[in-house]
Amino acid sequence: MSPVLKLTDLSVSFNTPRGMLKAVRSVTIELNAGESLGVVGESGSGKTVLSRATMGLLPRTAVRTGTIEYLGTDISNYSAKEVRDLWGTGMAMIFQDPMTALNPVRRIGDQLTESLVVRLGMDKKAAREKAIALLKRVRIPDPDAMMRKFPYQLSGGMRQRIMIAIAVSCNPEMLFADEPTTALDVTVQAQVLELLSELRKEFNMAMILVTHDLGVVAGHTDKIAVMYAGDVVEYAPTRQLFSNMKMPYTEALLKSIPRLETPTGTRLPVIEGRLPDPTKDEPGCPFANRCPYVTDKCRAEKPPLTDGGNNHFYRCWYPIGGAQ
Amino acid sequence: MLNRFWKKPIGFKLSTVWIIFILFLAIFRDLLPGPAWDESTEALGVGPGSPGHFFGTTQDGFDVLAGIINGARLSVLVAVTSVLIGGGIGTFIGITAAYFKGTYDKVVNVVFNMMLSIPNLVLSLALISVLAATKDGTPASDGRKVGVMILSLIIVIIPILGRIARSATLQWSTREFIIASKSMGTKDMTIIKKHIVPNVAPAILAIGFFAVGVVIIVEGSLSILGIGIAGGASWGSMLAIGRSYLEFSPWETYFPVACIAFTVLSTNYFGDYVRANLDKRESKI
Repeated sequence: MSPVLKLTDLSVSFNTPRGMLKAVRSVTIELNAGESLGVVGESGSGKTVLSRATMGLLPRTAVRTGTIEYLGTDISNYSAKEVRDLWGTGMAMIFQDPMTALNPVRRIGDQLTESLVVRLGMDKKAAREKAIALLKRVRIPDPDAMMRKFPYQLSGGMRQRIMIAIAVSCNPEMLFADEPTTALDVTVQAQVLELLSELRKEFNMAMILVTHDLGVVAGHTDKIAVMYAGDVVEYAPTRQLFSNMKMPYTEALLKSIPRLETPTGTRLPVIEGRLPDPTKDEPGCPFANRCPYVTDKCRAEKPPLTDGGNNHFYRCWYPIGGAQ
Repeated sequence: MLNRFWKKPIGFKLSTVWIIFILFLAIFRDLLPGPAWDESTEALGVGPGSPGHFFGTTQDGFDVLAGIINGARLSVLVAVTSVLIGGGIGTFIGITAAYFKGTYDKVVNVVFNMMLSIPNLVLSLALISVLAATKDGTPASDGRKVGVMILSLIIVIIPILGRIARSATLQWSTREFIIASKSMGTKDMTIIKKHIVPNVAPAILAIGFFAVGVVIIVEGSLSILGIGIAGGASWGSMLAIGRSYLEFSPWETYFPVACIAFTVLSTNYFGDYVRANLDKRESKI
C-alpha cells in the first residue's frame, strides 16, 4: 500500500522585498497510515511552513516546488478547488492557538456541525448527534450543554479539544497538529497529547505533530524530523533518535530543556547565536556558527543528508559518536 | 427586559424613546387625530398653543404638528430604505472585496475612495440633478423625486458602509479560525456567511445608525436647496418654506429643526452605544 503522505524535495520560498526567503529546503518525508511524525525545531526553522505547504494553506507570496503525494496521487499541481475537496475529509489541521482558531461569535455546536453538514452532507439532526458523540469522544463533560456555549466560556484545554473534535469530524486520513499544546498549560498538554495519540490509533490516521518541544514528541511519535533553517537536519525513528542522536543541533535542543533536578539559580543552557539569514544562501553548514564542534570544513561546505543506517538520516560532517 | 432598560444611561433611554416615537408617527400617521397636513385652514400663522393647532400653523395656514407627523413618514422612509439598500450593497461589496482581494479589491477601493472624496451633499446634489431631469424640462413628479432621492442617497451610502465592511473584513479574514474553517474544506461563501458576517455585523450596525443621521441631514439640506421634496412633505421641505417667514412665524422652522436634530442625535447616540457595547463583548474574547 502506498504511504498516506510522501513529500519529495519539497521546498518553499517566500517572495519578499529583500529577495527570496527560503523557508523550507528540499524536504523528503514519508508517512504511513497510523504513523506519527514529530517535526521539531526552533522558531523560524520552517516547521509550520512545512505543514501548511503540505496542506496547501500558504499565502500567495509563497513559491512551492517538489512533489506531494497523498495516498499515491501527486497533489502538488492540484487546483485550489481540488485541494479544497481534500481538506477536512482527507487532510485536516489542528491549529496552535485554540483561542483564535474558533470563531468568537458562533456557538460550539454550529462550528462543530458546519463541516459535517457542508462536507459530509449530513442533515442537521444527524450532524448534531455525531457532534455530541465527538464531544464525548474528546472527553468534554456534558456535551449537550457544550453545544450551546460560546468559545469565550471555555478554557484553553477545552477549546483545543473542540478543535480536535472539529479536525477529526470528517475522518481525515492525515492530521496536521501545528503546536497543538503550546498555548496550553503543562497538565493540560499531557491530556491533549494523550487524546491525540488515542484518536490517531482509533481512526488509523497519519499525523504530523509540529512542536518546538522534544519532550512533547518523545512519547507520542513514531519518527522525528528535526528541522533547522528550513532543512531537515536529522530524521530517524523516535527511539533511535533519542538513544543515538547524531546531530549537534538535536543535542543542543535537548540540553536546553529545563530540568527539575538542576539546582535553583543555575542558568538555563541556551543555543548561542541565531538562525542564519533565510534570504541568503551562504556556503557551509547553516548551524556552523552556533555549533560547539565546528571545523573549517563545516564553514566551507554544506553537509548532505547522510544515511546512517537503521533509517537514521543526518546532515553533519562530524556526527556525534562518529559515522556508522 | 424593562428592568434592564431602566438601568441604562439616560442618553440611551431618551434616544430609544425618541426613535420609537418617530417610528410610531411614521407608521400610524393616518390613524392619528388632528387636521390633515396638506389642507389649509383659516388660521394663518397662529402661534403654538392655539386651540386646535398645538404647534401653531404656517403663514399659509397649514398645521405644523400635522406637517411634522407627516414629515416623519417621509424622512423615515427615505432614511431607512436608503441605508438598508445602500448598506446592504456596500457591505456585500466591501466584504467580498476584502475577502477575495486581488484586482477586484483594488478597483473597489479606488472607486470607494473617489466617492468618499466628494462631499455627501455635493454628490447627491449632482446625482439628483442628473437623474431627476425630465426630457422636456418640466419638474419631475413628487413620487419620482422621492425615488431619485432614495437612489442618490443609496449611492452615497454604499462607500460609507462599504469601506467599514471592507476594513472590518480585512481584520477578520486573516484570523486563524477563518483558516481553520478553510482547512476543513468549507466554501468561501459559507465562510463569509457564517464566519465573517457575524463578526463584522456590529461595526456595520453602528455605522448604519450614523448613516441614518447623515441621510436625514442630507435630505433636509437638499430640500432647503430646493431640489429635494417640495411642498412641506418632509421636515427639510417644511424648513425650506418656513425659513422665509422666520421673523413672522419662527415656530414653522423651530419644530422641524428640533425634530431633525433630535433624530440625528438619537441615531448617533444609539450607534455609539451599540458600538461601545459590542466592543466590550469583543474585549472579553
